[in-house]
Order: sequence, then C-alpha cells, then structure tokens
Amino acid sequence: MLDVFKNLYNYRELLKTSVKKEIRGKYKNSFLGVLWSFLNPLLQIAVYALIFQGILKNPQENYAIFLCAALIPWTFFSTTISRSAFNCIENGNIIKKVYFPREILPISIVTSEAVNFLISTIIIIAFVIFGGLGVSKYIVFYPIILFAQYIMLIGLSLIVSSICVYLRDLQHFIGIFLQLMFYATPIVYSLDSISPNLKWILELNPMTHIINGYRSIFYYQTFPNLKVIFILIAISIILCVIGYLIFNKLQKGFAEQL
Amino acid sequence: MSSEEEDYKIIVDNVYKTFNVYLDRANTVKEKLLFLFSRNKKEKREVLKGVSLKIKKGEAVGLIGVNGSGKSTLLKLMTKIIYPNKGKIETKGKLTSLLELGAGFHPDFSGRENIYFNASIFGLTKKEIDDRLDKIIEFSELQDFIDNPVRTYSSGMYMRLAFAVAINVDADILLIDEILSVGDEHFQNKCFEKMKQLKEQGKTMVFVTHSMQSVKNLCNRAIWLCDGKIKMDGNTDEVVDAYIESTK
Repeated sequence: MLDVFKNLYNYRELLKTSVKKEIRGKYKNSFLGVLWSFLNPLLQIAVYALIFQGILKNPQENYAIFLCAALIPWTFFSTTISRSAFNCIENGNIIKKVYFPREILPISIVTSEAVNFLISTIIIIAFVIFGGLGVSKYIVFYPIILFAQYIMLIGLSLIVSSICVYLRDLQHFIGIFLQLMFYATPIVYSLDSISPNLKWILELNPMTHIINGYRSIFYYQTFPNLKVIFILIAISIILCVIGYLIFNKLQKGFAEQL
Repeated sequence: MSSEEEDYKIIVDNVYKTFNVYLDRANTVKEKLLFLFSRNKKEKREVLKGVSLKIKKGEAVGLIGVNGSGKSTLLKLMTKIIYPNKGKIETKGKLTSLLELGAGFHPDFSGRENIYFNASIFGLTKKEIDDRLDKIIEFSELQDFIDNPVRTYSSGMYMRLAFAVAINVDADILLIDEILSVGDEHFQNKCFEKMKQLKEQGKTMVFVTHSMQSVKNLCNRAIWLCDGKIKMDGNTDEVVDAYIESTK
C-alpha cells in the first residue's frame, strides 16, 4: 500500500499538470470562459428557485440561499461522477502508448472538480452575505466536510472510471442514476419536510449528510453533525481501498480494451 | 549471486501473451449479455509463447523479426502498458518509452507546454524539467516554433520534439519502437549520436526496428523473434545476417 503513495508522489508533477489541464481545458474554447463557472450555478439556482419557490410555493425562508448551499456541492458530486465515466475512455490515446500510474486520471478529475468547487464556494459566501445572513463562525468546519466529500469521490471515481472502460453504456445509467440521486438528496427541499417513514431512505444516502453539513454551516449557521461526517470519512477511506483494488485489477486490461 | 542479479535491468521470464480478438466487440451491457449466449466471433491470438530473456545494464538490444512476430507486444509488456497472461516481467530503474509518435501530446498546447506534460508523464518533477528545458528545445531544433500549438507541427517536427523529450529524461532504460524512420538524415544521425552517447553512459536500450543498418550501427546484441518465440539471440552481426538470409 505504501508503494501506491510513493508512486503517486513520484508522479506528482503529472498530477499537477493534468489537474491544471482539466481546469484550463474546461472553458478554453468558450466565449465567456471562466465566467461560466459562476454563471452556470447562478442560472441553475435561478431556474430551481423559480420552479420550487415561484411555482410550487416552497415555504422555506431565504430559499435562494437554502438552495445555493446545497446545489453547488451537489454539482461538485455529479460532475465528478459523470466525468469519471468518460475519463479513461477519453484518455485512451495516452493509456495505450505510455506508462504512468493510471490512478492519476481519476484522482486528477476529482481534484480539478474540487478546485472548481472551492472557487464556486465564493458564490455561496456571496449569497449568505448579500442575503443578509452573514458568514457564521461555523465555516471553520468547511474543510472537514470538503475532505469527506473529496475522499468519498476518489473512491467512487476509481470504481466508476475503471468499470466504464469495460461497460461503455454504464455512462447512460449513470446519467439517470444521478438524476434520481438529485431528488433523493435534500437539495430542493429540506430533510425535515419528509415524512419519517421515508426519511430513513434519504439518510442512507451519503450525499444527504454532506449536503446537511454544508447547509448547517452556511444556511442554518449551527454546529454541523460532525459525528456523521467522521463516520462518513471512515467509510470513504474503506471505499477508497476497495476502489483502488478494483481499479488496479481492471487497469491491467485498459490498453487492450480501449 | 545477488550482485549478478542486480546487473540485469530487464528480466523477462517465460512470458505468454494472448490477445482476444473480437471481430465484433461487445461494449454494452446488452451486447455482453447476448454474447454470453452466442459467444462467437472471438478469436484467441497467441502473440508471445514463452519468451525469456535478460538484459544487462548498458546493453543496447535490437529486437528484429517480421511483422506480427511479437516485437512491439514485448516492448509494450516491458513498459507495463499491457500485462502478460503468464510469466513475469521485471524492470529496474526509471524507464522511458517512445512507442508512437507524439503519444501524450496535447494538440492544442504549445510545444513548450507539451514538453512539461510529456516529461511529467515520464515521472519528472517541475524542477527537473526546468533544468532540461533548454537542452530539450535545442535538441529538437524547434526554437522558432516552440510556442506554437503542436497541431500546427509537421510529423517530422512532432517526432523531433517527442524524441528530444524522451532522450533527455535521463532514464535508466530506454525503449524505442520504430519511430526513427521519420525525420531527415541530419536529425537521424543526431539521434544515433545521442543514443551512442547514452549507451556509453551505461543506459540500457531496447529497439524495435526493421532497419538492419541501424541495428548493426547501434546494438551490441540482437534478438530475433519469430512467431512469438525467440529464434536467435546473440551477437548483432550473426543474428542480423541469419535474419536477412531467412527473408531472402
């Protein structure tokens, strides 16, 4: 296991360059460029606010902030998963011709999306400031929640990106699955508004706890449920180990499959 | 015993490699399920059938043989791009490979950026690349074009850049597959000079090529692969002559 980290450390420059490449390449050919990383979530918030508050009359106070604190972390989750599905296939050209530790690919996707998320957090902060709530002291827990989400995504990305090489149409299932997950996570509604006999299902969803964590520190401005977050980190670490084992087994056949 | 073992940079031990050749490949779940029942259209092609060889530090080895004899497969196995079905392959030290022209180049990035990207794939750190940047650019003779995107490069320029990076990585083992054929006389000679220099520095090299002239020029050992087996292994001149004789 130590070898894995040593190998990654030796290839740290590659990790850095590919993270940079991912971030820069994302908006390189678009007219508004980096502005899209701000515009995109803003427009999304506008759409959901219009539907769920304007039309469906969600009674939540400060609904835009309520939405924003959940939607932006969710976007981090969903884009990472859907990009992981294409990840290894897109890089088939390099995989077939050069050796490098393949796990660099999923790790750089998750890391670049994490950087994107860090930048987008500015939006959440802008919302709480201009929405009149202000920034609470509980923001110190932000890195812990982000860490939990990051580790969980590394594990998932290792699994998704390697399996998708063998089963290409898993990509389509993932699209549908993410859509289902979106509604099975308290993003446009709050967990408390769900009837107790259904609530336990949502509580099995790890993203529920992540979203609740962000919402506590930004929107409710209370102490986040750290116990749950730490359990989540522990599970995520196990997930990473399992993910790595799967990835390592499958990556041996990548060059032949692609 | 241990000191003798340490001298070997590449150890290939009884390696078998089989490719599944799908005439019609099942990529989707539906197709995979259907294939379970029909399971036709699949051929097994044994490319390597029990190859064993040991390459010492400082050796320059030429792999020769007709098309389809398994040369490139063996090279890919050594780089760990693919893995053997049976047997073991061990390499010691930093390894660089040039399997195909401009593998790992990003067409929209400039030559300079691609040097960083490409060298980092070979496991160099930023500082190590910084130190080598001038040497790489000079070797590639692309000073005037180095900040242009590489999609504007000709294939010769591509090859010069790829080669300049690979050769300046200071790897212990260099694996090269049939790419020297691109590039003009002048650059080819320059590459040969550089490779001779590397050989003298004690680097280990393995080439796959159809140019018998360059094998004779550069290698002190040649291995003739035929149908996935080693047919002959030894002194360059003897092996190459026997090979040329057989193809007549």
